[in-house]
Amino acid sequence: MEDVAVRTDGLTKHFGAVRAVEDVDLVIERGEVFGYLGPNGAGKTTTIRLLLDFLRPTRGRSMVLGGSGGDPGIRRRIGYLPGDLRLDPTYCAGDVIDFFASLRGGVDRDWVDALCQRFGLDPTRPVGELSTGNRRKVGLVQAFMSRAELLLLDEPTSGLDPLLQHEFNDLVREMAGEGTTVLLSSHVLPEVEALAARVGIIRRGRLVAVAGVDELRRTARQRLDLHVAGAVDDVDLARFREVPEVVEVSAEPAVIHLVVEGSVDGVIKAAAALEVQRIVSHEANLEDVFLRYYTPEDE
Amino acid sequence: MIVGARLIRDHRRSLLWWSVGVVALVLFTVSLFPSLKGEEALDEVIAQMPEALRAMFGLDTAIPLTSPAGYLQGRLFGSLLPLLLIVFAVGLGTRAIAGSEEQGTLELLLSNPVTRRTVVGERYLAMVAMITGLTAVFALSLVLLAVPFGALDGVPLSGLAGATAGVFGIALLHGTIAFGVGAATGRRALALSSATVVAVAGYLAQGLLGLSDAIRPLRFVVPWHWYLGRNMLAQGVAPDAIIVPIVLSTAIFAAGVTAFLRRDLR
Repeated sequence: MEDVAVRTDGLTKHFGAVRAVEDVDLVIERGEVFGYLGPNGAGKTTTIRLLLDFLRPTRGRSMVLGGSGGDPGIRRRIGYLPGDLRLDPTYCAGDVIDFFASLRGGVDRDWVDALCQRFGLDPTRPVGELSTGNRRKVGLVQAFMSRAELLLLDEPTSGLDPLLQHEFNDLVREMAGEGTTVLLSSHVLPEVEALAARVGIIRRGRLVAVAGVDELRRTARQRLDLHVAGAVDDVDLARFREVPEVVEVSAEPAVIHLVVEGSVDGVIKAAAALEVQRIVSHEANLEDVFLRYYTPEDE
Repeated sequence: MIVGARLIRDHRRSLLWWSVGVVALVLFTVSLFPSLKGEEALDEVIAQMPEALRAMFGLDTAIPLTSPAGYLQGRLFGSLLPLLLIVFAVGLGTRAIAGSEEQGTLELLLSNPVTRRTVVGERYLAMVAMITGLTAVFALSLVLLAVPFGALDGVPLSGLAGATAGVFGIALLHGTIAFGVGAATGRRALALSSATVVAVAGYLAQGLLGLSDAIRPLRFVVPWHWYLGRNMLAQGVAPDAIIVPIVLSTAIFAAGVTAFLRRDLR
């Protein structure tokens, strides 16, 4: 059995002059929960649609579960939730689910019922009468119902309330515990941070970084507030500005605000000369890392 | 055939209403026949009409409008019936691929273990089955409802079968154009408009090209001419009016599928 769930080599997709995806080399190991992050329009959805053979690459290629995403034998092993979910409004939710189940040669009924219950989905309601969030639940149930080996979930929690988001997180953790590979795309960082061990960041069609969440946290910028006794003067501030890891320095009368990238060792040593009463460290936030990749420096 | 059967289920309500409409049309038409029968003045009026106009309405001086064959051709087979069936078929053809693609449901369907080939093939077969079904509803209701009004007297069964197959053919052809263009492009509006243009332009051309002997031979490219060129109820079956649209439909379908298998979904 191939130990890689998703592999792309120089995957590129242009729509006319628009470079939606450019030279993406991505490897997702089996059993991994991978976060695929980027702002809207960065190429996340296009990448997933390429993986499923809905789109044909301009260049490069992709493999899912060792084969093509267009092969029914491979698709049988994939659960997919589109970012823009559309369902025929004339059927009831259960009917839509049953239809997809029959295309998959039947699924475990008890499991489907359990999923509906967990998400609080009433399968007898007509799809046309469902709210966006409830339609989203139909999409989640059909993606999870076949216990697929690979889940491709495009913005899965958009439109879900926090309670359901929590349920969704639990479910993804359960599936991952059973060895399911999950690709989770999102433009909201915390929801991916909670689930994924590795994260790929795509910006303007290019995969700009792939890193472990821990690793990103290590290199992430941290905010430190040093509460000092007495007034802060320019000499104190200059001392911090000399520390290479310090990116930003600002001050209030008795507080020095620092933004540090990487190790804080230099800061601690520089602070030794001051009478520091309290250090407030803000939780390392991936949002800051994220912003670094997003902030267009070339514009 | 899960995918094809599903498409038929998608249309379950519309199929019912179309059937009701067709039966109502047949009943209305045949019930008026007795009042027309023997009104020879009407045949004289038709004889005075320009030939192009007669051709447009599928009328023929050799077959009086007051005879069952002339009446059914003029009121049903040569006018409202093909129009209805074409509208029905084009609607189905437009929705089958392009419609569901624009609606966004085709992509989710294709994320299941089915190939594009299966989807396009089964949906086409489902479309053909639905056109066949509505045509059968028409033929059956005509056979049953015409008898009490004497509207089928003297019309041979072969002629009725031939004319029915002919109207199926012209509906299938236009439905296939919508289906094929939709499959090739994924654009609903383009699928709908190309089939409509072929139908309307063909209908007008069938009449206009008959006006002068010099351009009359050009009518051989016009589907409406194959169908309206002969009153099969009275003059016997015209095999080419049935076979040509079916062969042409097969070719258009094949071209549409080829493009569909290669392109990006929208």
